[in-house]
Amino acid sequence: MYLTAIRKLMPQRRRLLMAAMRVTKLIAIIVLGSGLQASAGVYSQNITFSGRDVSLEKVFSVINKQSGYLVFCDYSIIKDARKVSIHVKDASVQDVLTECLKDQSLEYEIVDKTIVIERKKETAETAAPVPPPIDIKGRVTNEKGEAVPGATVSVKGSSKVVATNDNGEFELHGVDQNATLEISSIGYEKQQVKLNGQTSLNVQLKVEAASMGELVVTALGITKEERKLTYAVTTVGGDQLSKARESNVALSLAGQVAGLTVHGANGGPGSSARILLRGMPSMNSGGSPLFIINGIPMDNTQRGASGEWGGSDNGDGISNINPDDIETMTVLKGQAASALYGTRASNGVIIITTKSAKKGQAQIEYNVNALWDRAMNNTDFQYEYGQGLEGAKPVTTTGAQNSNRFAWGSKMDGSQTIQYNGQNYAYSPFKDNIKNFYRTGPSLTNTVSIGGGGDWGNMRLSASSLDNSSIVRNSGIDRKNVDLNGTLKITSRLSSTVFVDYIDEQDRNRPQLSDGPGDPNNFQFLAPNVDERIFAPGQDAKGNEIVFSDDNYVTNPWFVVHNWINSTGRSRLITAVAPKFNFTDWLYVMARVGYDREADRIFQVTPTGTNYSFNNAGQSGQFNGLTNQTTSELNLDGIIGASHNLTKDLHLDATAGTNFRTNQYEYTQINGSQFIIPFLYTPTNVLTFGRNYSYYKKQVHSAFYSMDFSWKDMLYLSTTGRYDAYSTLAAGNRGIFVPSVSGGFNFSRFVQSTPINYGKLRAAFAQTSGEPTGGPNGTNSGAYTDAVYYGVGNAFNGTAVGTLNGASGSVENNMPVVPNLYLKPFTLTEVEVGAELKLFNSRLGIDADYFTRKTRHEIMSATLSEATGYNSTYVATGSTQNQGVEVQLTGNPVKTRTFSWNVSFNFTHVANKILHTDNANNNLTEGAYRPLNANTAFIPGMSGPQIIAYDYTYDSKNNIVVDGSGLPIRGSKLVPFGGVLPTTYGGLRNDFTFGNVNFGFLIDYNYGNKILSATSYYTIYRGLNKMTLNGRDGITTGVTASGAANTVTATAQDYYQRIASISRNSVLSGDYIKLRQVTLGYNFTQKQLGNIPVFESINVSLVGRNLWIISKKSPNIDPESNFATSVKYAGIEGTSLPSTRTYGINATFKFKK
Amino acid sequence: MNKKILLYISLASLVVAGGCTKNFNAINTDPTQASAAQYNANLLLSSQQIEYFNGTMGYSGALLMQSMWVQVLASAEFPSYYSNGDKYVASGNLTTYDASLWLHCYNSASYAYECQSLAKTAGLSNLSGVSMIMELLDIMNVTDTYGDCPFSQALQGKNSVNLPVYDSQQDIYTSMLSKLDSVLPTLDASKPLPTNDIFPYKGSVTGWQKFGYSLMLRMAMRLTKVDPATAQKYAEKAYAGGTFGSTADDAWVTFDHNDGYNNNNTSAWQTAEDFSEVKWGQNVIAYLKANNDPRLSVIAEVPKPGSDSAAMENQMGDTVYSHQIGMPNGYDQNGGATDISKAPGYPGGTGSGKTAYPTGKYSRMAIGEYINLNTPAFAINYAETELLLAEAAVRGWNVGPSASVHYANGLTAALQSYATLSSYGTIPPATISAYVLAHPLDVSSTTNSLNQINMQYWITTGTLLDFNEAWTNWRRSGVPALTPVNYAGNFTQGTIPRRQEYPTSEASTNPANYQAAVSKLSGGDQYTGRVWWDK
Repeated sequence: MYLTAIRKLMPQRRRLLMAAMRVTKLIAIIVLGSGLQASAGVYSQNITFSGRDVSLEKVFSVINKQSGYLVFCDYSIIKDARKVSIHVKDASVQDVLTECLKDQSLEYEIVDKTIVIERKKETAETAAPVPPPIDIKGRVTNEKGEAVPGATVSVKGSSKVVATNDNGEFELHGVDQNATLEISSIGYEKQQVKLNGQTSLNVQLKVEAASMGELVVTALGITKEERKLTYAVTTVGGDQLSKARESNVALSLAGQVAGLTVHGANGGPGSSARILLRGMPSMNSGGSPLFIINGIPMDNTQRGASGEWGGSDNGDGISNINPDDIETMTVLKGQAASALYGTRASNGVIIITTKSAKKGQAQIEYNVNALWDRAMNNTDFQYEYGQGLEGAKPVTTTGAQNSNRFAWGSKMDGSQTIQYNGQNYAYSPFKDNIKNFYRTGPSLTNTVSIGGGGDWGNMRLSASSLDNSSIVRNSGIDRKNVDLNGTLKITSRLSSTVFVDYIDEQDRNRPQLSDGPGDPNNFQFLAPNVDERIFAPGQDAKGNEIVFSDDNYVTNPWFVVHNWINSTGRSRLITAVAPKFNFTDWLYVMARVGYDREADRIFQVTPTGTNYSFNNAGQSGQFNGLTNQTTSELNLDGIIGASHNLTKDLHLDATAGTNFRTNQYEYTQINGSQFIIPFLYTPTNVLTFGRNYSYYKKQVHSAFYSMDFSWKDMLYLSTTGRYDAYSTLAAGNRGIFVPSVSGGFNFSRFVQSTPINYGKLRAAFAQTSGEPTGGPNGTNSGAYTDAVYYGVGNAFNGTAVGTLNGASGSVENNMPVVPNLYLKPFTLTEVEVGAELKLFNSRLGIDADYFTRKTRHEIMSATLSEATGYNSTYVATGSTQNQGVEVQLTGNPVKTRTFSWNVSFNFTHVANKILHTDNANNNLTEGAYRPLNANTAFIPGMSGPQIIAYDYTYDSKNNIVVDGSGLPIRGSKLVPFGGVLPTTYGGLRNDFTFGNVNFGFLIDYNYGNKILSATSYYTIYRGLNKMTLNGRDGITTGVTASGAANTVTATAQDYYQRIASISRNSVLSGDYIKLRQVTLGYNFTQKQLGNIPVFESINVSLVGRNLWIISKKSPNIDPESNFATSVKYAGIEGTSLPSTRTYGINATFKFKK
Repeated sequence: MNKKILLYISLASLVVAGGCTKNFNAINTDPTQASAAQYNANLLLSSQQIEYFNGTMGYSGALLMQSMWVQVLASAEFPSYYSNGDKYVASGNLTTYDASLWLHCYNSASYAYECQSLAKTAGLSNLSGVSMIMELLDIMNVTDTYGDCPFSQALQGKNSVNLPVYDSQQDIYTSMLSKLDSVLPTLDASKPLPTNDIFPYKGSVTGWQKFGYSLMLRMAMRLTKVDPATAQKYAEKAYAGGTFGSTADDAWVTFDHNDGYNNNNTSAWQTAEDFSEVKWGQNVIAYLKANNDPRLSVIAEVPKPGSDSAAMENQMGDTVYSHQIGMPNGYDQNGGATDISKAPGYPGGTGSGKTAYPTGKYSRMAIGEYINLNTPAFAINYAETELLLAEAAVRGWNVGPSASVHYANGLTAALQSYATLSSYGTIPPATISAYVLAHPLDVSSTTNSLNQINMQYWITTGTLLDFNEAWTNWRRSGVPALTPVNYAGNFTQGTIPRRQEYPTSEASTNPANYQAAVSKLSGGDQYTGRVWWDK
């Protein structure tokens, strides 16, 4: 008790202590050893002592002797104390005491030169000695010593919070001198500083990765500080791609980046993506940006797609990449950003940086992601009238079979009605075909990564496995990725990065789309009373297809899912090695070897029993092909770079280099028809054989430079230039030089009294070039376009048969392409102005751009009338213009210690205009939809591609003219009905964090585009569309050619089938707003996992993708529906997979070292 | 020091690496194909011939349209792609079928054009001449089917003529006839002969000359309605030049399924359902039966009962003469007013329940004669040529022997021709001569003669499956008199189509010239419009 009394008095220090000592004397058993020596002699501050199993009494005595400290203690409390073994040399008194009281129920207190020993108390009872509060003044700066205004300074464990002023200064009053301060500012890493009594602080904040002040990877792998950039870029972190993931990682960029649109094909997992930056950059370049992975170009070729005549989407290059390996994706939108890539940069560049390990941070991580896809039913059919033709339901089996896909019957009355199989079923609505036919498609990704670093460099190795089942039975993909990324420091000057990504992807039965043969989606247009399950299993006992409708080229989907084979396999190796030698700290030379090689094996079989494949001997099936194709690209770069202060205020970063690129492609296919031994699917088991071979090689030699000047971190000027020479062009037209100049002005310091705390203006002019496309080998390589070539096809009864420019070996329908000797690379020129602002202490960020860009001399493949003897030609007359505005807003409306809310909103408006097409400025035909009565085209003066479709025929008073049967007459010309690419689009992202819980969602929107919908055509033609409810008893409409009112009544079927052929009725609006993504996550921190020995942290997220179409204007379809992702088929849909909703869970486990 | 050397090496290699484009010409030469200098122009002759047949057979149009427009065949199914032909009701893909002849015939003509240009360079005048004949055969097919079309500026895409004008059909015929007239005499057996010829001529100049004059005769006779004077002039020239002298001169090919070259008609009928639902037209069987024509036995058979065996192409049917019945056009099996069971004289179906086959008693193409993927096809044959000469003679033109002789020659040749398609179609010579003797040309009046001759032309071309020629000659001659179908929703207001609409692609690939051509058609680009010689 008395000790407690002493303790309470302690703050009053010495005077009171002396009093206490007096009190203590009454019972003091101490004072040990050779007596009190409190006032005498010179003592060391440190203790040196060694002893085994000595009593505390003895220890205290030593302390007293060596240090002169007095030890106060009730003997009763130390007499039972454990003996201690202690070996200390020059240890402080405190250390010695701590050591010997460790694991004893004793504690000590030092007051001046007096030590008080007592029994340990419950913490709660312990009234800590509270040091007097202090006042603090401080300044927050960045790494360059510049003030960070608006930074938040808070005292940990209290509610005290202040913000720094414009000079980065702050004051705090009455703070515990042992308190910890937390300093944070948007764009910087949060810092904690323990005061330890300091009253004046200088805090330096580090720029935070993945923030607005970040370092950005730009062209050629050069990192720049974002504030030095003179053009627009956006970086998306890998965590935003890998939680609610897509099997094609590119699709995860949708809605996240101003200026960028990404749309996939409805072709199942691993389908390709249409990625367009700033509108449609040009007519001829395919649209896809150039993908650069760790500094080297990677192939993003579409590996086969569906068209109006069917086919499957076999994925693209980017779909091979594992999202778990991606650290960031940086989108270089403008040409100034991408100009250094010259040739292929006209569509913009997306730079992928894969994850790497950091020095001193050994890390083992395991991620598991499990998702489930469900088909979405977007149809809104009529369910009043059932199967049948001309108002009557079927009465015979043949009639039933012929009308399974026609809803022109009578009103559904529930009566028993005959079906194709002779059985009767209720003639009543059946609405579950989509739900029943498509299964839930699970997908599971497991990724393990290990990484670490040291003086030797760093290395990260990851292995990943994806197993994604499609909603179509027996279809899906398996993908394995092994990714190695590291840096080796060989000497202090020589280092090398090493990157290897090995991909093995096996796709099971990619579904046929758009056309009827082999298409598993053929049940989408069943009459509204027909249950698709009556067509299962789709085959008879012999394995022959049971045809379910009037058309045997519309394969029974049950037969398809059980029998059709369309498997594509790929093994791919992307490697990059880049040794770099630093001559000095400001001059380096680098060599880079990048190699991307894809080897594909495609195995396609129309199986035995497929009805339309039978020959007259009863043999069936087709060996559609065993294809082996390899694509490779080799890039050799030599780069020399310098970074130097020219004067005190003027800094120069300069780079010069060369690039040598070789592309090579080789394709071999064997095929045949009718299997001799049924069900044995090998290339030799066929009656007839076919073979195809194709090859190309091309090279580009280039040289480039870039110079970036910065003056006082206020003015920035960059200029680049690149010269490319193409092997694909004729001598004399091979080379082209393209420049760029851009500048930036950081005006932050001039607006310090306004809410603007950061401001930059930027402007850029840049040009890029592109090479010719097309080519005789069907590869769009651009090679061999300057001459007519002559080939040989299959012999005809032993007589050799010639072909023109045809590598496919068929004379049929293989008209040549007119060669052109005068092609040159086309150019794209862009002017961009933009501003970047941060306001209200960086709580609000605005990044806005205006751009205008135009191509010249685009090399066009102009479709020709067959009457020219050729089917297409090349002309260098194309010109495309895009003008637009991009705005990216970021906000941080609420930010407290436990809750934060981040918003990011982006908006893009692009006006695309085709300025000129081929030499005669004709409309250039693009893709068609399967009904073939409308297509898309590039039309001068309009945005591209436009849907052109047939209209009605009108008389002078704008009445619809009908023929003698009372049916509207189709107009004679295809006329434009709107562009297929959106003009206004963007996304809204919200992220909330409450302590360990985070919640985020992404909404994206898309306006201004039209869809050419085969679904619309079929639903009108087949009587499924709600529109066809009107006039089921007959329709009398329009005027006759003479202008008199029509008196002839047409039946609903005749009328609507005519309406369908007037294809403007299949043009729908593509506008939508979608809830794209929702994530809800929880972080188990180290503290929570304290008792679990294995994990450092665990993050678990519930995720959902494509959950809800909030708004759309296109009946019966998802407005994003597409069977192919090329620009050619943009906005054209029909008979593809329903779009899917995805739900699932993602968990990341970080292991303890 | 070392550092500096390294720096200089680096800089130097940068400069060197970017500089060399010397091997670009070699890189940009396709190693998988031949240049003009390496190439043998003769290789393109077989290509022309194959593509011509691709344009005139099977789903490329004629089978789905002309065969039933001219009522040689019939199909009682709806919906079906045969509704384009049987009922003039558009199926989903009508536009594709419609464009197919144009595509293939111009493709064939393009091979011919390129072949001529290579042949001229190589001094192969016979190959050049033969290719021109093929080109004219192609263009004739196009203009007969669609009307005005590119000719004078056609096929010159390589010279940047990308928007060829549509010439009037009159100009095309004038030009084609004069080209034939000038090229045929230049064929010279003493000069290098064409190789890679898949017609039986195997490059023989004599064979090709006969083919060329027979083609000239066919062209001339097209003009009988609109320009009899020109028709007479060139028919006489053709006869004088030397048309086919026997069936040995016929131009035909045997297809080669194993190499991917099918008879496209048979290929279409590989589809079991097409095979079980496509029947001989009512009038064909009726006419043959009325004349006790021996051809009926080789072309027609009634399938075995039941839809299951009917679909099987290895189950030959019943060839009993009296059992053969042709099917009327314009019916379906949908149970309504146009159900085949309501057709006059409906013979009833076969099978029952699941194998019910309502059209089972109608005659189909005999499997033995037609259903082989290698079944030959004719380009032009002696039978047709003699029948045309018979008509020329009836008109009093100077084409050698009398109309009766030409007619008898034509009829004899016709009956012999089924053996060319298959040995199954061999009709004994005695039967042929007896039949021909019993059916001489009716010379009681010009009208009767023309009727009889053109009826034979219809039967012969139709049953030898040259449907385009049957339809074209019907348009020219009006024989036989056909009753149009008027099925609900047809695209001709219940009349038989008299031309094909232009391919829809023309509206976008050659718009101004297309529009100009359409503006000359009364009623626009419709199936009901008429080509120039069909006024």
